[in-house]
Amino acid sequence: MNPKTVGTTTENAEHTEGRGVVGEGRRSRVGALARARAASGSPSSNPTVTRRRFLGGTAVAAVGVAALGGSAARGRAAVPADENPWRYDLDRLRQVDPSAIGYERVGGFRVETRGVVRRLGWSGPRELVVAAGKSLLLYDTDGSKTAELPMDDVVRSVAVTSDGRWVVGMRDHVEIHNRRGERIARWPAFTGRPFVTGLALANDRVFVADSGNRVVYRCDESGKVQLRIGEKHAERRIPGLVLPSPFLDVELGGDGLLRVTNPGRHRIEVYTQDGDLEQSWGRAGVALDAFCGCCNPVAVSLLPDGRVVTAEKGLPRVKVYDASGRMETAVAGPDSFAPVGSDERGRGTPDSAVDGLDVAVAPDGRVAVLDLPGAAVHLFRRKGATPASA
Amino acid sequence: MSSEPSNDDRTTRRQFVRNGLRVAGLTGAGVMVGALGHRGAASDTVWQIDPRKCLSCSRCATECVLEQSAVKCVNWFPICGYCDLCTGYFEPQPIGLDTGAENQLCPTSAILRKFIEDPYFEYKIDEDLCIGCAKCVEGCRLFGNASFHLQVRHDRCLNCNECAIARSCPGDAFYRAPVANPYYQFTT
Repeated sequence: MNPKTVGTTTENAEHTEGRGVVGEGRRSRVGALARARAASGSPSSNPTVTRRRFLGGTAVAAVGVAALGGSAARGRAAVPADENPWRYDLDRLRQVDPSAIGYERVGGFRVETRGVVRRLGWSGPRELVVAAGKSLLLYDTDGSKTAELPMDDVVRSVAVTSDGRWVVGMRDHVEIHNRRGERIARWPAFTGRPFVTGLALANDRVFVADSGNRVVYRCDESGKVQLRIGEKHAERRIPGLVLPSPFLDVELGGDGLLRVTNPGRHRIEVYTQDGDLEQSWGRAGVALDAFCGCCNPVAVSLLPDGRVVTAEKGLPRVKVYDASGRMETAVAGPDSFAPVGSDERGRGTPDSAVDGLDVAVAPDGRVAVLDLPGAAVHLFRRKGATPASA
Repeated sequence: MSSEPSNDDRTTRRQFVRNGLRVAGLTGAGVMVGALGHRGAASDTVWQIDPRKCLSCSRCATECVLEQSAVKCVNWFPICGYCDLCTGYFEPQPIGLDTGAENQLCPTSAILRKFIEDPYFEYKIDEDLCIGCAKCVEGCRLFGNASFHLQVRHDRCLNCNECAIARSCPGDAFYRAPVANPYYQFTT
């Protein structure tokens, strides 16, 4: 018997069939030989394949293939992320020299909300207001929530008047609410493509930062627009606001001048209340004294002595500049905040303001920072300062 | 000799082959019917990427069965900032804001920068050059509006039953999109 033509496996059987050697006469000979070998107790020489053995072999092969496939799949899933040959690497740029940080964290708390947190303000010496979704959340500086004031629409900016009323910026209009959150007035919607993101208050004026229309409105107490500030004007040597993303902030200093962010130009611009550009400073770059990425700073606030506190996104940093734009110190670096993109709420929508920071300075000089991705408030005080002279 | 089975009790080679062919034929017919049915169902959907879940891991560039991945970067212009300093186009620390290769983030120079008006620039993707590595996607996401995002291009995708990229996607960002709406729809 030729072992190449008679075997016990399906492969051998197919091999035999392929050769076309199984003829009627040969089959008789093979059958007789097989029967003789079976009778002599030689199982390995059985020339036929039973159905049971065929099915058994197939099942074993299927199990083997499945095991190999599963092993391969597990191998791919286990590839570590740092093997990405095209990784966008910011690790080195996230490092901030500790000696450049002149503030220390003295407190903070997580904002308990299901809405997107957007803006932050001081509404008292020990009280912070957070715009979160469709509500204003009031917190004591120790982190206890004292009130939640529901609003009719998503709150995108907030300020508080000296008599305790809330000035609330919605997407296209401004509302005035009393201390309990009851609406007193609703201003008409701004024209064009309004997207209100900042507010600053004077005695009888409200300055509204509209990032959609790239302008700061000077409004009277009834909401009537008196003046448009920051628009491109060659004769007045105003370059115009450039806002790739919906971040436009305005702050009124004790000197009566407005500080306005111009993120697309990486600058802080100083305007009079009549719209004249007095000064601008800032430069693009990843160095600590510059403004990083495509569009920074995203928020601005003022220390009691007029120095400027800025906040950046991308590489989340908070820094203090003097009036001429020279950086004095950093308040906090990227390691103090949640990683960008750690909050998926709003991701993939034009409302990309879910990433970034907001900053607000207390009358005593403490700096409160709202970490948008982390939905947390951090309180910083100048190193060595006493609580009374932060 | 009475215990020896007759020829009728054994499966002959010819019978085995015949039975095997029958089984193979039936199996093949079943597979074809199943495949046709599955194809009918699969034709209603195609593979797509949810940008909100994409981790920019670069596996889209390496796992696709095609020689050049069917996944490409797409710029969604309604939310693009048209930035002069586009962090999807430029290295984090560019020497200058120009089209010099040393300043570009893209490993294949697949992003085209075109001046529109001061200070705005338009960024388009040359899909023949784009390899789907997502480096620009991450740069845009970290600093900008995430207008750069990866999408499966259906003029290239084979719509495999078991997409090799989807299998290895660590963010589980692949999903089946309806043919009538084959690209991810941003909400406005």
